[in-house]
Amino acid sequence: MMMNNAQSEQYLKLTQELRRGILVLAALSQLKEEKYGYALINSLAEKGLDIEQGTLYPLLRRLESQGLLKSEWNTEGSRPRRYYVISSEGLSILEELTAEWREITNVMEELLAGIASEGDLK
Amino acid sequence: MSLLNRYIHEVGRFLPRKNREDIKAELRSSVVDTLEDRFGTEPSESEVEGVLQEFGSPRDVAASYHPRSQYLVGPGLYPLFRMVAWIVIAAVLGAQLLAFFVAVFIAGEPFSVLETLSALLNSVPSSLGWVLITFMVLQYFDAKPYLEEEPWDPKTLPVLNPEADLKKGELVLGLVGGILILVLVTLFPQWIGFLSTPGGGFYPNPVILEYVVLIQISLLATIMLNIYLLWKGSWDFLTRIIKLALDGFGVVILAFLIKGHNAWLAARGASTFNAWISAIENNNWELVGMNAFRLAFVIAFIVTVIEIFSTIFRMVRSKMANDVSARDFVLKVD
Repeated sequence: MMMNNAQSEQYLKLTQELRRGILVLAALSQLKEEKYGYALINSLAEKGLDIEQGTLYPLLRRLESQGLLKSEWNTEGSRPRRYYVISSEGLSILEELTAEWREITNVMEELLAGIASEGDLK
Repeated sequence: MSLLNRYIHEVGRFLPRKNREDIKAELRSSVVDTLEDRFGTEPSESEVEGVLQEFGSPRDVAASYHPRSQYLVGPGLYPLFRMVAWIVIAAVLGAQLLAFFVAVFIAGEPFSVLETLSALLNSVPSSLGWVLITFMVLQYFDAKPYLEEEPWDPKTLPVLNPEADLKKGELVLGLVGGILILVLVTLFPQWIGFLSTPGGGFYPNPVILEYVVLIQISLLATIMLNIYLLWKGSWDFLTRIIKLALDGFGVVILAFLIKGHNAWLAARGASTFNAWISAIENNNWELVGMNAFRLAFVIAFIVTVIEIFSTIFRMVRSKMANDVSARDFVLKVD
């Protein structure tokens, strides 16, 4: 089924909304070792999750202000970079969020499997 | 890399002051990381352009770093802002019209369409500006217009009770009227009086001038109560008690005014009804006017006393309605 312009715009918005919720979990999961922003983007992209730079950097700062991440400038490389790593508070939140995520995916799998078997998704 | 420098500078202009330099440094390092990864250490101008396009416009990038959404007046305060703004517009327009009528018909100043229009064009935006500034400050400090306790409890929902419903039209009318009278007694107290004939002699009322402060306090308190009621949406026990107290205060002021007029008229031997009739016959406009004022205050006194009794009656009926609805509920549950 082809989508018209309005539909694809709506689809884009809904996809963004859907992805926005998982970004925190995705970022926290990859920061057990310290990384700078661009390295984190690459590591997420390698695993199949593309995230815009304009979205990631403010998100990292927000997580840091909430105490879930720690950061510091590292001047040892070719140029100064800000490295982020998960805090102990972030780790316990990550654990809880992961459990929550598994539960959600189980439920969603069940819900969506039902739709697919009824042949509603054409 | 001059394009990158320009970009970072432009983003910096829209960033919050706090952490500005830090964010700029991180942004620069991220853009350079991206460029190096894709195009090596010496990217061309168009390659830089492409990456900057990906990062987004400076305003958008900076906006994503703002801790709170950038509202002048956010969704939480907006309904209150809209209500206050409309009341202010109505009151300012009313005050302008009042000033216009006083100036043209009482003070006998020449009528000028241009001046009236320019006064309106100045006063409405400037008063709205002040309302906006006030709300911007409230927004900045994240003020909450609700007095609800946390955590929210469904049991605190207002009871459905038609007796407690407000007559909004009456309230707004009363509010605008109150503001107009307040403006009149505050800004033009010398113009409270009466005319012998249209465009004829003007006599200020000396008794009202004596009690201006009390009248202002009463009007201001009533205006505040009405605004609160409009915001709250219904009467409750406390607001009815305050209304009773204000009406009581109003009755006291009216009693003072009536007494003052009596004394003023008695001093001129004109306090009786017959004296009033003869004053009309003799064209003694000062006595006629003061008598008319006294009559108006007596009527206002009676109306306010009736209002007090009707408020008490409503309080009793509202209490009974509550009891009945509670009983119905219990019966249905049983």
